[in-house]
Amino acid sequence: MKKNVTLSIFEIVGSPLCVASDDGQKVYDRIASALKEDRSVTVSFHNVSSVTSAFLNAAIGQLYGTFSEDKIRSRLKVKDIQPDDLALLKRVVVTAKQYFKDPKRFDKAVQATIEDGGDARKR
Amino acid sequence: MKIRLPEIRHNQLGFEALIGIYSKTEECLFDDIEIDMSSTGWFDADMCAAFGAILYKLSDRINTVDLANIPQAVTRILSKNGFLSNYGREKLPDTFGTTIPYMRFDAKDDRYFAGYIEDEFVQRSEMPRMSRGLLKKFRESVFEIFSNAVIHSQTKLGIFSCGQYFPKRNRLDFAVADLGIGIRKNVLDNAGLDLRADEAIEWATDGQNTTRRGRIPGGLGLKLLREFISLNGGRIQIVSDSGYWALEEGQVITSEMKYTFPGTMVSIEIDTADKRSYKLSSEISEKDIF
Repeated sequence: MKKNVTLSIFEIVGSPLCVASDDGQKVYDRIASALKEDRSVTVSFHNVSSVTSAFLNAAIGQLYGTFSEDKIRSRLKVKDIQPDDLALLKRVVVTAKQYFKDPKRFDKAVQATIEDGGDARKR
Repeated sequence: MKIRLPEIRHNQLGFEALIGIYSKTEECLFDDIEIDMSSTGWFDADMCAAFGAILYKLSDRINTVDLANIPQAVTRILSKNGFLSNYGREKLPDTFGTTIPYMRFDAKDDRYFAGYIEDEFVQRSEMPRMSRGLLKKFRESVFEIFSNAVIHSQTKLGIFSCGQYFPKRNRLDFAVADLGIGIRKNVLDNAGLDLRADEAIEWATDGQNTTRRGRIPGGLGLKLLREFISLNGGRIQIVSDSGYWALEEGQVITSEMKYTFPGTMVSIEIDTADKRSYKLSSEISEKDIF
């Protein structure tokens, strides 16, 4: 069985303030790499004091454009997250699912991933 | 060219007066522009974000800007927050610590902006003693406003911010302005909707609407801000293109202005004495997120 991975948001961002979309992208890249390898991922928010929707959209919301909902639900977990940040994450997830249901956006998202050399074509 | 500036308060009239400067000088190049402030008996310091953005736009066209005849009280406040340091004056110490300094950021400066909020607001003892929940919401709100400018504005000239705390009224005002494409054009280009500028702002702050395209979803920032300010009893004002949009006491006011702002400005006012916990009414489980 493949080893589970724990990712520390604080370590990836290097700050308790998780506000930048670019920092969210770094988190996304690591989660996506692990999910592509069929590993289970636990994302720790330990020591994180502020998160924005822009950060979470980039870090986690965009996963729904690359991976199936089933895969995300079965492989991804969060821990050490403050209750109101968890509530924000839930809204980001709900919004992301709706976002990727729109075929026009979805096509563009997949196209953008392919153009960037991502592996959306493997879905 | 000489332009007279009236009193500037953080309301629609104040915005219109500042945007009027831009409208009158839009075509100026290599010009000398004197802004006569002898009638500016009051200047709400958070309005420096919009004022600074407009003056920066002027100086980008290699115009020389002179702020003349500034009344003493206005000079004092605009020197304390560092605004006048851009126009040849010395910065004065902020003895009572009620200003959040005027700053210009580049669009890649999210982290720098977050540090500025921490250093100039959160860590300062002179700033209001707000409840933990309120402080967290305030920080996240200003981060959301800044992110919104970074993600949507396509600004090349930067993002401008400034704040002011009014201890007697328990009010804290903070504004962020950008010199980007504006909400109307963003909605037109990305959602295909040809709306009036004020309608476009309402569209962008409502429901699940988003102008995002591509891999990263969006559409939450301004809604979160709207929800928080409604609960807090504060006020949001958004000026973009020729649109004015405000939310105060649960009421939305929109109008089309005579002149056009070359970007977007978001201004919030919060009630710092608000004791709500901002805790959730129902717990969400970590197991039920995805």
